[in-house]
Amino acid sequence: MPSLTSKRAQGWLVHAALATICLFALIPVATTVLISFKGERDILRKPPNLFPCDSATQPFDPSACRWSVEGYQRVLAPRPAPEGLLPIRLTGNLVSIYLPNSLLYAGATALLVMLLASMSGYAFSRYRFRGRQTLLVAILAITGIPLLTNLLALYQMGVTLRKADIPLYDDRFFLVVVYTGFFLPLSVWIAKGFFDAIPRDLEEAALIDGCSPLGALLRVSMPLALPGLMAVFLLTFVNVWNEFIAGYLLIAKNEFKPAMFGLYEFLGQNIINLQVVAAACILIALPVVVLFLFARRSFFAAMVEGAIKG
Amino acid sequence: MTQDSARRRRANKTIRSMLPFWLIFPTVAVLLAVQVYPALYTIWLSLHDRQPAGWEWVGPRNFDRLFKMGLFGESVGHTALFLVGYTSLTLLLGFFIALLLNRKLKLSGLYITLLFIPWVIADIIVGIVFRLLVVPDYGLLAGILQNPALFPPEGLSVLTASRAAAWVGDFPFPPAPAMIYLILASTWRALPFIILLLLAAMQTVSAEVIESSRIDGANSSQVVRHILVPLMLPTLVVALFSLTLSGMNGVGMVFSLTGGGPGSSTEVLSYMLYALGWRQLEFGRAAALALLIAAINWLLILGTLRVTRLEERNA
Amino acid sequence: MQRTWTLWFLSVLSLLLAACAAPPPAAEGEATESEAAAPAAQDFVTWYQYDEKNEDPASDERVGNQYLRDTIPLFNEAFAGKWNWVNQPKAWDRMSAEIIAAVQSGGDVPDLYEMGTGGGDVGVFYRNGVMQDLRPWAEAQPWYSEMDPSALAACTGPDGGLYCIPIAERPHLVYVWADRFPNGYPKTPEAFMVEAERLKAEGLYAMTFLGSTAFDGTGTTRAVWTTVSSFGGKFDDGAGAMTLNTPANIAAIEFLRTVVQSGYAPEIAFAGNFQEEEAFKDASAGSFPTGLFGYRYINPLTAPDGTQYSKGNEEDMLDAIAAGDVVLTPFLAAEGQKPGCEISVTGFAIPVGAQNPEAAYDYINWILTPEQNADWVLRPGAGFPALQSTRQSEQFQTPFYQQASEAISASACSPWSGSLERPLEAQKLIMNVVYKLIKEDPSADIAAELQAVEDEYNAAN
Repeated sequence: MPSLTSKRAQGWLVHAALATICLFALIPVATTVLISFKGERDILRKPPNLFPCDSATQPFDPSACRWSVEGYQRVLAPRPAPEGLLPIRLTGNLVSIYLPNSLLYAGATALLVMLLASMSGYAFSRYRFRGRQTLLVAILAITGIPLLTNLLALYQMGVTLRKADIPLYDDRFFLVVVYTGFFLPLSVWIAKGFFDAIPRDLEEAALIDGCSPLGALLRVSMPLALPGLMAVFLLTFVNVWNEFIAGYLLIAKNEFKPAMFGLYEFLGQNIINLQVVAAACILIALPVVVLFLFARRSFFAAMVEGAIKG
Repeated sequence: MTQDSARRRRANKTIRSMLPFWLIFPTVAVLLAVQVYPALYTIWLSLHDRQPAGWEWVGPRNFDRLFKMGLFGESVGHTALFLVGYTSLTLLLGFFIALLLNRKLKLSGLYITLLFIPWVIADIIVGIVFRLLVVPDYGLLAGILQNPALFPPEGLSVLTASRAAAWVGDFPFPPAPAMIYLILASTWRALPFIILLLLAAMQTVSAEVIESSRIDGANSSQVVRHILVPLMLPTLVVALFSLTLSGMNGVGMVFSLTGGGPGSSTEVLSYMLYALGWRQLEFGRAAALALLIAAINWLLILGTLRVTRLEERNA
Repeated sequence: MQRTWTLWFLSVLSLLLAACAAPPPAAEGEATESEAAAPAAQDFVTWYQYDEKNEDPASDERVGNQYLRDTIPLFNEAFAGKWNWVNQPKAWDRMSAEIIAAVQSGGDVPDLYEMGTGGGDVGVFYRNGVMQDLRPWAEAQPWYSEMDPSALAACTGPDGGLYCIPIAERPHLVYVWADRFPNGYPKTPEAFMVEAERLKAEGLYAMTFLGSTAFDGTGTTRAVWTTVSSFGGKFDDGAGAMTLNTPANIAAIEFLRTVVQSGYAPEIAFAGNFQEEEAFKDASAGSFPTGLFGYRYINPLTAPDGTQYSKGNEEDMLDAIAAGDVVLTPFLAAEGQKPGCEISVTGFAIPVGAQNPEAAYDYINWILTPEQNADWVLRPGAGFPALQSTRQSEQFQTPFYQQASEAISASACSPWSGSLERPLEAQKLIMNVVYKLIKEDPSADIAAELQAVEDEYNAAN
């Protein structure tokens, strides 16, 4: 048996190791934050300096720091708005177009996926019908088709639909349906797993008490499965928010571009102004990072469920 | 019993038996529209080529031309190299970190949360962020790596340094520094997920099993080797497949980090598909490549199914 | 097939909406907004790589963005009640893929497409049946006889059709820091090596260039073509087949290989993302063969003597040229050859299936009026006027334009893609092999590698 002191020492060692690992994991994030707060003249330094704080005499002088919000200013393009509620208005495309679009795509897709996945996940979990197993395997097999593969066809479909002049239809609608189809298969499996974990006795009791099957689903199973479904919602939300290539290829109109597409535009227009690119990266990643920090338990539950089943 | 209530009961029964159908139908409809139809269309596309007059049936010629592209063979090599490096590094690091976290420390919640942040960041942003670090002359990491004292004779510029001459035939080994960097960046993003997965599996291995083996005199490394690894094998395989799938199909990282370069040293199959389709507008040949990638994916999924089935049977 | 699909898709969608009662918010407001702007006027839709709504004063494309902001109201005023100009900004590296897909699927096609020929787009568009042949209409216009014949040739497809109307010509030449070459820019490869060795001893580079394979091998169309054509080389045989393995091409690649392997070019030349420009901005590289339009992007500048040109916009380069710090010259040339260069034009095309070709005709004629033409050429065009009468205009009598026109007339400029029908494929293949030969594997056999690429391309002809 190891002695108590060596056990404590070991504990410290593990803490030290984990702290170091976390530090390493966050270095790229931290440096991006640093870059985003530099001005152009500190960006274009050879060799680069970590902090924009060197003075003529000292390599690091806190009073000489030249922190700058130029990157953010150029991304957000604040303009004075005398008649508005706030004294300034953010006119950058990021705020007026890209982020709202991403929010719309991610939110609408997550909602649709959650609804469809909970319906079919419930059916797969509670009913034994012909073709059930085949269908389940088929849904799993579909995850094997990479999004990139399907994009060749989806791209042509998108253009055809655009031309068809369907009332109220536009690219945004199409993109949401594409994302739904893409993130649905795994979500069905995750939702099925969550329903499997809910005891059937409860529903049966409700059925005996005179509930219709649909009523039992809505009044008994759904509330119990809600945390799991919430996890599906969040996971899909983050996945859609972070998806680049489909949005990039399927969206034609400037007003419909999502944030990742917008980011690519910043990249193309600011080849050497790294502070602008860094600021845009941070502003776009921030919402999902915050969302994750608030709802991390949900994420963990869905991811473990999805990975083991899928 | 009146006739009326009998009818109602029969109707109820029909509704009941139809319910699973109506619950599943929307899902199936969406999947047919967005996944199955495009997949069939891709097959059609792979057998056609664009001519000024329209689409022309060319049979297997797209496949033939694809295989004869010098870049194709090279991309297969790069993809294999990338996958081996990325999966083994991620699994090793993930296992090690999960072991550390498995000790039920006070702060492990905080550690997991911090470690998890990279996973929430989009791959295209990760690519940009890692590129910012090594932009020649201006990147913070480039300032260190380009020091000739560290990498004689001229220092290392990750985004421009060439591959060394291949050791065996045309297989791109040793890899270019950019490929190693791409592997590191991909690992950085995938690691949290693998840690979480392995940690969850570790926690299902009951403490008593480990404790009793310790009493039998096994040391830590023996516990890991003879108890943890065999018990966690199915999860490790699942993790391996999931990493391979994501590595095989992800394009965002290559897109924003290296763009396939320098030269063609990070050109992997997924990026080649993107470039063939949307840059060179060779939709027929791109479709042929897409089918090839899908076939590999299915093999991987079949493998995963096998392993998880085994697990269920054993349980 | 497509029709039934659409119907089927619609029914699935409506079912989804009914079943889930969670319709993803559809666009209602924006779709009708543009139509409501001018009730009588019809929409005239253009695709430009510029975005009039991007007001970022430091954006790389600020010049074009501002141009659109200025002229959209002017056009709408000139054609009030008839046309209402609606611009759709498109990313420069994605436009051609999008227009091809749009035309082939038959929908959402603009009336006018801002088109450059540098990427070999005439051939690509011809093969995909994307653009209308404008020859019959153009020949009936008064300005047709005044067009530079070589500019018209750049818009001519393999069948003799005119697939774009050239407005500005964008030749390539060499930007040179005068102080780095006190004896003048070398005229032969041998003289270049002598100067390069001298600069290297000072810790400087003789030239920077786009040496990376980034942007799908666009480097092929820039310094690589400049060098190859200056050695009398070509990429095609004039009949659609690729010819790479020729003595002139080998000599050109040997020249580039020596430049790179001797350390006469900076490592950043291979970084992609146009970072090769950095070495010219701080004068660490003495020369930069690139497009005339490069002046717009290469700033701010620091001259060899420390003079700063730091407005951070296109005026920096013009100022440096006016001050004599930067000069424009032709590239060097092998014995018995004229300096070569790429020439492309930028102008307008009308896609097949455009809703309002009449509006596009009106627009092109409007841009070719004396009031508008110079402005377009100077701002979004960034080149020489294709319309010879406009060249006399005083805006083109600046040091920049005078030097450029001297450099061009001393060179033999031609489009790099020649008769190649798959320029996008060719450009990537060529750049990959050139990169391998000059940078990655300096011992590789040039002739054998070029032959392999040539065979791969021609096998598909």
